[in-house]
This record gives sequence, C-alpha cells and structure tokens, in this order.
Amino acid sequence: MMKREKATTLYLGPQHPGITGNMMVKLKVEGDTIVNSTTHVGYLHRGFEKLMERRNWLQSFTIVCRICVPEPDPNEENYARAVEEIEGREVPERAQWIRTLVLELARIGTYLLWFAGQSGSAGLYTMGQWSIGDRDYVLDLFEELTGGRVYHMYIWPGGVRRDLPEGFEAKVLQTMDYLEKRLIQYDKLMFDNTIFQKRAMGVGWIDPEKAIEWGVVGAPLRAAGIASDVRKDDPYEVYDQLDFEMGHATTSDVWGRAQVRRFELEQSINLVRQIIEKMPKGEYYNRIPNPMKWVVPAGDAYVKTESARGEFGYYVVSDGTNKPRRVHIKGPAYVHAMTLLEDMLKGANVSDVSFIMNSLGTCPPEIER
Amino acid sequence: MTTENNNLEREEAVVVALKATFPDLTARVKRIRRVEASVSKALTPSVLVHAKNVLGYKALSHISCVDWIEDEHFELVYILWNPDEKIQLLIKTLISRENATMENIDTIWRQANTYQREMREMFGIEFPGFVGAKEFLLEDWDDMPPMRRDFDTKEFVKEAFFLRPGREDAKDVRDTIAKRSKEEIPEFAKKYSREK
Amino acid sequence: MDTNDKGVRKIVDMITGFARSNSLFMLAYGTGCGDIEIPPAMTSRYDWERFGYRKMATPRQADVLLISGYLATKTLKRVIRSYEQMQEPKYVVAFGSCTINGGMYWDSYNTIKMLDHYIPVDVYINGCMPRPEAVMSGLFDLQEQIKKGEANGAQKYRENLEWYRGNQKKVIKNWVMPEYNW
Repeated sequence: MMKREKATTLYLGPQHPGITGNMMVKLKVEGDTIVNSTTHVGYLHRGFEKLMERRNWLQSFTIVCRICVPEPDPNEENYARAVEEIEGREVPERAQWIRTLVLELARIGTYLLWFAGQSGSAGLYTMGQWSIGDRDYVLDLFEELTGGRVYHMYIWPGGVRRDLPEGFEAKVLQTMDYLEKRLIQYDKLMFDNTIFQKRAMGVGWIDPEKAIEWGVVGAPLRAAGIASDVRKDDPYEVYDQLDFEMGHATTSDVWGRAQVRRFELEQSINLVRQIIEKMPKGEYYNRIPNPMKWVVPAGDAYVKTESARGEFGYYVVSDGTNKPRRVHIKGPAYVHAMTLLEDMLKGANVSDVSFIMNSLGTCPPEIER
Repeated sequence: MTTENNNLEREEAVVVALKATFPDLTARVKRIRRVEASVSKALTPSVLVHAKNVLGYKALSHISCVDWIEDEHFELVYILWNPDEKIQLLIKTLISRENATMENIDTIWRQANTYQREMREMFGIEFPGFVGAKEFLLEDWDDMPPMRRDFDTKEFVKEAFFLRPGREDAKDVRDTIAKRSKEEIPEFAKKYSREK
Repeated sequence: MDTNDKGVRKIVDMITGFARSNSLFMLAYGTGCGDIEIPPAMTSRYDWERFGYRKMATPRQADVLLISGYLATKTLKRVIRSYEQMQEPKYVVAFGSCTINGGMYWDSYNTIKMLDHYIPVDVYINGCMPRPEAVMSGLFDLQEQIKKGEANGAQKYRENLEWYRGNQKKVIKNWVMPEYNW
C-alpha cells in the first residue's frame, strides 16, 4: 500500500495580504504546524549595482534612495558618507546636525508604520488607521523640507541640499508634542492589550547565545539582551554629542521586540528635541567644484548606519574615474529573512508566520535591490 | 566627523596579532575602527577561523566581490566585526576570473550561504561543496552572469524589451505647453525658446 | 418590456455603470515601490473607503488590479496569472512613471519598460511617487470611464490575445501557464 504523505505545501505567495512586500515563503505544513520553509525572493530585482556602473557619482545619488522603500534616508546617508571618506571631504557642522534630524524623523515614521504592520497581522486593524494617519504629519514635515513625501534625495556628498526653511523648528516641535500625546492612546490600544500580549509572548524565539554569530542585528538583537547599536558602537554624524539610551529586553520573542521599539520611539522624540535645541548656525553645504566633471580618487570604504530595522552596510569602491566601480549594499533583511526566518519557522503555527515576519522587520526590496 | 581623539592603539594591536600568526599577511590601519588585511587565496579560510575563534571577530557583516577586468581577477572582501573591541576587519583576497572558485565557508558562519548564492549567480564564482538552490534573484536566466563588467546592459535591453519612443512635440516643453493652452511665453523664458 | 428597445438599454446601462463604479474591489498585491503610498490613501487621513474602494484578498473576487510601479519579469508572470484569474468586468490601473516608459530603471536588465504591451491598461497615473490625492483622482477618472462604458481593456485583451501572448512569451522564457478561459 502507498504511504500517504501527511505534509501539504502552502505558498504564502507574492500576492497575499499578509506579507510585508513582494516575496514568497514556501511552507510545508502538517496540520497547523510548519515542518519546513524556504524563502524565495527576486520579485523586485532591478539590478541597482549594474545601473550605477553607467551613471556618474552625482547621478547615482538620485537612485540610491529607492533601495529601501519605507525608510530611504539611511541609504542616502551611507552613500554620502562613503564618498566623503574616500575623498577626504569635510562636512560643515550645521549639515551634520541637519542630517541627524532627518534620520531621526525617518526613524519615527518607520516605527509608526511598523506598529500598523505588526498589529494588523494579529487582527488589530484600528491601530493601522491611527498610526499611519499620524505618520502623515511627519511626512508633511519632510515635504516642506525636501519637496517629496517618500523619496527625499536631500542628503548628498558634501552636506545637504538646502537649509531649513523659516519656522520649521516650531512645526517640528509641535508635531513631536502631538505624537507624545498619541503614545498614551497607542499604549491603551496595543501595548496594554491582554490579547496582543498573549499572542506575542513566547512566539518567535531567538537563542541569545547564537544571535551574534547568526548575524542578527537591530531590535531583535537588543530584545535578546545584547546591547548593540551602531549609533553607540561606531558613532557617526553627531550621535556622540547626544544623550539617549538603547532599548533593552530579555525575553527575545515578539513581545520583547515590540517593547524595544516602543521605547526607542520615545527616545527618538527626545533626540529630535535635543537636536533642535543644540543646532549651531553655519554653512549647510561644502560645494563640489563641477558636479558634471567630478572625479573621486581611488580607494574604498565601508560605512554603517542604524536604520529602524537594523544595521545597513555599504561597501563603495572607486577606481579614480567619474563613475563608481562597485557599490555593494546590504540591508538588515538580507540575513533576517533568509537563513534566520527559515530556522525560526520550524515548529511554528501557520497563523503566526506573518506575525513573526513583521516582528523581524523584513522588507524585500533591500534583499534584492 | 566625530569628536573622539585619534588614539589608534587597539587597531595597531590587531595588526601585530595577525602578523604574529600569519607572517605572509599584509595588514594596515585605515582609520579609527577600520583595519585592512590582504591574504592569499589558500590561507583565507584559516585566517577567518582564527579571527573568529581567537581574536574575537564573531560577527560577519558582509562578503563582497569586485570585478577588476583590466587585471583579470576578482577581489573578494570579507568584512568582520568584533563586538567587544568594536573594530571592523576587512580581509581581501584575489581569485582568477577563469574558472573562479573559492572555498565554502558556510560551516563557519551560516549566513554566508546567502552571500555565496548571490555571488554564484551574479559573478559566476563556484563554491564547491556548498548546498544552495540554483536560482536566487533571477528566473530562467541563460545569459552570462550579469554583474561581470563585460555584460552590456544597454544592448541587452534594446533587444529584449520595447522602449517607448520620445514624443515629437516634446522637444521644447515650454513651447508645447504654451501652444496647447494658447498662452503667451513669458519674457524670462523667451531666450530658451526655439522659436525666435 | 422589450429589452432591445434603446431607451431600456440606456437605463440598464446607466444602472449597471453606477453600481460597478461605486464599489470597486482592489486586489491586494503590492508589486513595487508604489505600494508605500497605498496605506496612507486607505487610512484615516485620505480615506478612500468612503468612495467604495476596498482591498480584496483573492483575484476571483476582485475588480481592479493596481500595478504599483515597475515590474520585474519574475513578477510579470505572476501578475499575468492573477489578471487572467479575475472575472470580467475587470480593469487595470497603472501607477507611476515606470509603467509608462520604464522610469529610472530604463536600462535595467530585469524590468519591463512598457506595461501596455503585456496587459491592457485603462488609466495611467504618473509621478514618482504619486501623492494619495493623485491616486484618488486617477480612480475617479476610472469611475467616469466605467459610467460612460469606455473602460474595456478586458475586451481588447480577449480580441488581441495572440499579440499580447507573443510579447509575453518574448520576455518570459519558461511558459507553464494555463490557457486563458473566459
């Protein structure tokens, strides 16, 4: 008699309302438990690194922000800092403070978007209506400063593109006050909600002993009890002059990561207030002599930034011409969504797949650029 | 960029420690928190294992590959991070472009599997002994590995896809828009207009 | 009542046009970059649910396919499959300048440049990204077209199926799709 196979194959495919973006997770399921899983990416591959070989240094800066869709500013910052390091170009003081302000505002916007994703995959859809509506006020600030809501193209090698407009600081402080009041409502709805807590505790556990070796970065690493943040380990811009704390949790599951991110949202709001208070006056751009004929001397550089999801790394190589030789980009989801997710989903429940993916912060465009 | 003092003692200590174990290696300090080392292809796995177990570089941040077609070799770069000393170590090695192979390191770090899959697909470098699905980002690709410098994207795009031709009346945009709404071209724009 | 009478036809068309255009279900498929401006259009600030749009999980029950941005060839195969599973009447809205002429990825080896040659498009919305107000304005345009009876991309697809198939097979090499059954 033929042996009947108990496992079914399920394609949590590219067209699915529960996954974060355009990727596929192929599951082998027995009943309700997952036995095996593979991640398939490649649905968003545009070949950025090949495109940059045909564009000169200034034209490449315009396409770099499209690599990570929810949070484009760490990409621009990394590219600018790598080129400045190879060339030895100095950035004026005020430009560094403005860059830090933009990065922190982008971080706040991404955390609000993450609230919507995480609670939406558990069934709490009201949170998405609130937090994405509030994120729009942060996008309004970006529109006034840079001209675009989503893709800013504002931080470029040498500084920033234009100075802060009149009355901008007052608007930023007003938005921060409003967001702090809303945090009380978010607590009542999501973080103090017993149903969400019951669903989130004990799900998606990462072994803290092996986390660093497996390449876990960002909030999942801090939720495992390991204090690691690029803003404190390898400081860049003006983070060593600012006063903030890292999130910390010990449970290393979805609930721990939610607590870490909630704590860091408050810290970001405080950071924005400190930056506005301490910002000096001065130049905002160290002018490149002729952008059309700009040649960067030969060399290479590796730079890192802490985005809202983890550590973003850029390896830039220049060979002394006016076009980049190699720009290699690695986002945090490169490790989280491929080898780590396949390991974490073994033995998990089918209804928790989307929940776990949201807690790791998977975002497919940065895996496949 | 930051206001630390440029005290490079810990980085110098790393260079000394590496040279003591591997005399054929060349290493130097690039700046604070960055140390660079060049090593031959055969020694690379043992340098990586030594850096991970003895010197404390537990985290693999990045594996990258640069195509130097003029010198006919690929340059592989392994970037490691020490979480206690907070130093980044870049280990560079050269492999030939014809029949490019390199030893598999996913027994040392599991996530190297993904980097190796991408390099096999994009550059054509083989890692004998490693198990990973054939396709990673491209589906049914039968041309040469696309990230090599001799792959011409513009020719490929012209043959494979349809490109939309430019509009005939859009060569001078201000004129076109003004004519469409039957407006006067303003004074400051007259010097850019083709109609004199 | 004679249903071939012109007056009766006109009233029936008006009623079906009104009903179809005021309750459009959009397929939940985020194919590219543009998917980041859909949540703001859906939620409390710009709220498109007051006009009758909402997201639907399966292609069998959806009316509109919103192609938000560029399409890699791997995604194009899945989009064609989803499009052919949708039941008529169905409409396609193309979003962003990447669907018009390739946008900023015009020299990329993996994205398609003109969407019109692969599936029929009813409304284009240009921009990079289009604002949520631009998205809604494009959808109002689609509503006007449906009321007048001019949104017949699906009919064009049926009639010129060989031409579309020829273009699709040129880009997708491993063709393992079912036959189109309408």
